[in-house]
Amino acid sequence: MRAPDTNEILLQVEGVSLAFGGVKALTEVSFDIMKGEIRAIIGPNGAGKTSMLNVINGFYHPDHGAITFKGRTRARMRPFEASRGGIARTFQNVALFRGMSALDNIMAGRTLKMRRGLLWQMLRYGPALAEEIEHRHRVEEIVDFLEIEAIRKVPVARLPYGLQKRVELGRALAMEPDLLLLDEPMAGMNLEEKEDMSRFIVDVNDHYGTTIALIEHDMAVVMDLSHRVVVLDYGVKIADGTPDEVKKNQAVIDAYLGVIH
Amino acid sequence: MIALGQFLEVLIGGLMSGVLYSLVALGFVLIFKASGVFNFAQGAMVLLAGLALVRSLDLLAANGFPLWAAIILGIGFAAVIMAITAWLIERLVIGPLVNQDALTLFMSTIGVTFILEGASQMIFGSDVYPLRLFPTDAWFLFESHFPGGILVNKLDVWGGFIAGILVAGLAIFFQRTKTGRALRAVADDHLAAQSVGIPISWIWFVVWLVAGLVALVAATVWGTKLGVQFSITFLALKALPVLIIGGFTSVPGAIVGGLIVGAGEKIAEVFLGPHMGGGIEYWFAYALALAVLLVRPQGLFGERIIERI
Amino acid sequence: MAVGGSLDTFPKLLVRNAAQFSSRPAFRHKDLGIWQTWTWTQVAEIVRAYAAGLQRLGLQRGDTIAIVGSNRPKLYWTVMAAQTLRAIPVPVYSDAVADELAYVLAHADVKFVAAQDQEQVDKVLSVSGLVPHLHKIVYDEPRGLRDYDHSRLVAIDEVIEDGRAALAADATLGGQIDDIIRQGEGSDISIILYTSGTTGASKGVMLSARGCIDAATDTVRFDRLTDNDVALAYLPLAWVGDHYLNYAQGLAAGFCMACPEGRETIEQDLREIGPTFYFAPPRVFENMLTRMMIRMEEAAGIKRRMFTYFLGIARRHGESILTGKPVPVSGRLLYALGRLMVYEPLKNALGLSRVRVAYTAGEAIGPDLFEFYRSIGLNLKQLYGQTEAFLYVTCQPDGEIYSDTVGPAAPNVDIRIAESGEVQFRSPGMFVGYFKDQAKTAETLTSDGYVKTGDAGFFDDKTGHLKIIDRAKDVGRLADGTMFAPKYLENRLKFFPNIKEAVAYGDSREFVCAILNIDPAAVANWAERNNIAYGSYQELAGNPRVYDMVAKDVAEVNRSLAEEKVMAGAQIRRFLILPKELDADDGELTRTQKVRRGFIAERYAPLVTALYNGSYEADISTEVTFEDGRKGVIAARVKIRDLQISRSTESLGKAA
Repeated sequence: MRAPDTNEILLQVEGVSLAFGGVKALTEVSFDIMKGEIRAIIGPNGAGKTSMLNVINGFYHPDHGAITFKGRTRARMRPFEASRGGIARTFQNVALFRGMSALDNIMAGRTLKMRRGLLWQMLRYGPALAEEIEHRHRVEEIVDFLEIEAIRKVPVARLPYGLQKRVELGRALAMEPDLLLLDEPMAGMNLEEKEDMSRFIVDVNDHYGTTIALIEHDMAVVMDLSHRVVVLDYGVKIADGTPDEVKKNQAVIDAYLGVIH
Repeated sequence: MIALGQFLEVLIGGLMSGVLYSLVALGFVLIFKASGVFNFAQGAMVLLAGLALVRSLDLLAANGFPLWAAIILGIGFAAVIMAITAWLIERLVIGPLVNQDALTLFMSTIGVTFILEGASQMIFGSDVYPLRLFPTDAWFLFESHFPGGILVNKLDVWGGFIAGILVAGLAIFFQRTKTGRALRAVADDHLAAQSVGIPISWIWFVVWLVAGLVALVAATVWGTKLGVQFSITFLALKALPVLIIGGFTSVPGAIVGGLIVGAGEKIAEVFLGPHMGGGIEYWFAYALALAVLLVRPQGLFGERIIERI
Repeated sequence: MAVGGSLDTFPKLLVRNAAQFSSRPAFRHKDLGIWQTWTWTQVAEIVRAYAAGLQRLGLQRGDTIAIVGSNRPKLYWTVMAAQTLRAIPVPVYSDAVADELAYVLAHADVKFVAAQDQEQVDKVLSVSGLVPHLHKIVYDEPRGLRDYDHSRLVAIDEVIEDGRAALAADATLGGQIDDIIRQGEGSDISIILYTSGTTGASKGVMLSARGCIDAATDTVRFDRLTDNDVALAYLPLAWVGDHYLNYAQGLAAGFCMACPEGRETIEQDLREIGPTFYFAPPRVFENMLTRMMIRMEEAAGIKRRMFTYFLGIARRHGESILTGKPVPVSGRLLYALGRLMVYEPLKNALGLSRVRVAYTAGEAIGPDLFEFYRSIGLNLKQLYGQTEAFLYVTCQPDGEIYSDTVGPAAPNVDIRIAESGEVQFRSPGMFVGYFKDQAKTAETLTSDGYVKTGDAGFFDDKTGHLKIIDRAKDVGRLADGTMFAPKYLENRLKFFPNIKEAVAYGDSREFVCAILNIDPAAVANWAERNNIAYGSYQELAGNPRVYDMVAKDVAEVNRSLAEEKVMAGAQIRRFLILPKELDADDGELTRTQKVRRGFIAERYAPLVTALYNGSYEADISTEVTFEDGRKGVIAARVKIRDLQISRSTESLGKAA
């Protein structure tokens, strides 16, 4: 794995705690994500991984602790502020606009980048048209990158699961994010689809330089893809380091790994 | 025997009043489409808008403002009132309850209904206020062909015209503008919409605002017809069969449903009424809605919900 | 720019087209979701700059440049640019594996390679050690190549830009290029096409410029193609058909060549472009029909009945209407209604609405299939040819279309049947020879300059058309002397939708046996409708009810063979269904999907033995290659079935 270029920290999670009633989802979790790296967040089911992403993304507000992103520290952030700040996200259960085609879904990702206002848009003329063409161009580049030309016009509800995940990735990419959060991108995929998705993730990191944080269960994928790994168990961080270091960590092995390939 | 002229007159009259029903139904459709909430308070919103309008109009006219200025300012004032209401509803009711299920949200709108009805009458008064924005007399068309001509209410025609403009405006808004598209995105999947950077609370405010403005338009027409009074809130009940027939999520459905209900009940009253003892127009719409529910539950234009396993 | 003499090279044709058809579209390519267009003037300018750029990189007259990739404008322009410099383009199949690629590159001793994308570049680099004179690799799509060592690698765009700059800076350079064009002669080798042999290594067929252009001009006239026509270039660049039908005819007529976006989008692109000229091998037409039938079976009752009814009307009157023969008025009216409701929508869904002329070739086409397409108004015709002929040896003229012939000789082509029954020809487009293989060339030509096609055939008495039986060397004899033409039998079997591929054996044997492949789509569909569960192709292939169904088809073939005096003794006695689909990647088929009987017999020797020794089952275990290159093993117990021999009213005939 090629190491990331800089040692600049893009996201810092500090002492984040989150509880739902009596259930402690996260307890005093701290770690950082460096610019340009692929960071995996792993752990047994219920370890708090998705909650962690939701906190980073603004869907949940931590009870204690703070997130520092691109130098700005915020305790509470709303989802659309996270999006505007440069964080894009995919979901475990694929949040796509079901009524729209794959192309329109990816176009939706350009929403934040569209500048022209109401009146121009209504007339669809002049600067608004030029802007629309530019957005379409970017979206087509993503379509080409993800090799989904053949399903451009298909309504996403009709696509097989693996392709839906790819379209969702496309939509996140269309936002040109600084940080890409992927929640179990390979869930439910067969071997060939996993290989394709891995290739795309690596390419995104390589080609666009996007920092990626991903939650994943498939150990082989995690070890292969990521630069560094954070391990959570029952909401507590139990390990933090390179894949090799984590693989050998006894606490991690005890937590849930039987065998790592 | 049914005279053609009489039939046409009843038909036209029915269609026209159907359009007026559609105006009220539109408000429901907008909110339901965008947030999945059935807004029981739509009728109360029509009352609020009507009261704000008529009272400010009367006040301005009494203070010597020329009619045209009073109308413009009055409408502006009513619009502001609706905007404030929309903001308050979003902030205090819908926002906090956003993740609850549809039934909870529906019940909250019942609460909103009572509050709006009480507050609007408290602030603006509880009399019957006549509104004179449109002519209320009638034309007699085709007098040469049919004895006595065909009676067509000018108010109804105005109502149809305004409804047409409203629908066209809404269509452009939804299809062409960024906000309109964001609304549709939120209606489709609001998790996805949020992750794409669409601010949900702002969108819901816009939805309630637009519904409020639609209520204002309905108020101008119905207020002229019936006078602005508390019973205007019962219009909401008439809108229900329109929605069932046309589909809860369809703007064209609201129009077509309204036309069907309007024409249907008038024709049924005039031609079946004498045989069945009269009073048909009170329940005909509901019977029709029931029939549609049995055959095509999603309404004529509604979306078929197919759950994929 | 004055071009001397007649138009006897492709560069000269390009210059003419730029002048005569200047703003007509020459190339289209769907890129980033939009169809981009280049006019003839633009193409001429680009090719000129490209040629200048290539010359500066060292490409000279007589050098060979390989081209490997799918149909893309830049790769076609590479062919044009090479021809401009009187160098020789050598296209290679884009799905060739490294070994095949290495062979061609080394044999042709290429100095340059034009590769489409990273995948092809990787392949070339991996075998570059075997190609000593390889100087530069130019590539079309830069994706993924950013970090590669660019000492030998350069983007085609850069080459073109470099050429443009050089032309602008140096006034004489343009003149030099024009001189080279002017000096081009009809006898120049304009391209070398390697044939994928069903036996032995590939041979490089050399074609002359004059030969190509004369042949193309003749068929353009024959089919009345003009600059208003459009063709979709989707068949392999390295195949003679693509070079002839799209490239050569395109340059000769000035029509537009449209390149699809990618392999998966070919159907959509076909619909969007709406070509006026179309070629597809029979199996493509078969697939289209099968898919259509499958979808029809799932449609509502009314639609299905309408479909069946109107197809019946088409069957009765379609052919006559297409060829202008008399038809009763009621028939015409019904057909017109049918056209509105069924035929046009059908053709539209397939992308064939605007097709004026469609050809098919390569394998025999089932009569039903052929007649079906013609009946709905698609002017489908057959042609017959080979790379050595620069494609056309025969083609069917409008008005004389039969499903079981390949037509009379193409314009200016001279055909004769030798004593042995082999078809031989002489044509304007015939090849000059095999590259670096004088011996093979001499073998393939007769003393008086006719090409031996290697196919056995005869002229039909009634129509005067040529009929092809089989590859001459494959035509054998059974132990009792009956003629055994395997391809003839295999084609009959493949006409049935359930049978995708068939291999027949019988030479010097007592009787004929067949190894069959079922069609996955058609049989899966049937299984679903009959509630038959299966977990894999292998399971489906082994299912006894599937065997029953296939046995019926084979029996049908036997019945029809029984009616033919010559073939009656060659009925199929036993057959089996192979648990694995025959695949070119495993070497069982050629790159053009023709069966390699010898190889298959060796690979599945236990099966062939079992077929002939009377066993009812046999075990096999073969190594297979998956799509990503990994190897696996398929093991199975294969069942064998017997069949009854049909009797005809005539007695069995022996070969004369």
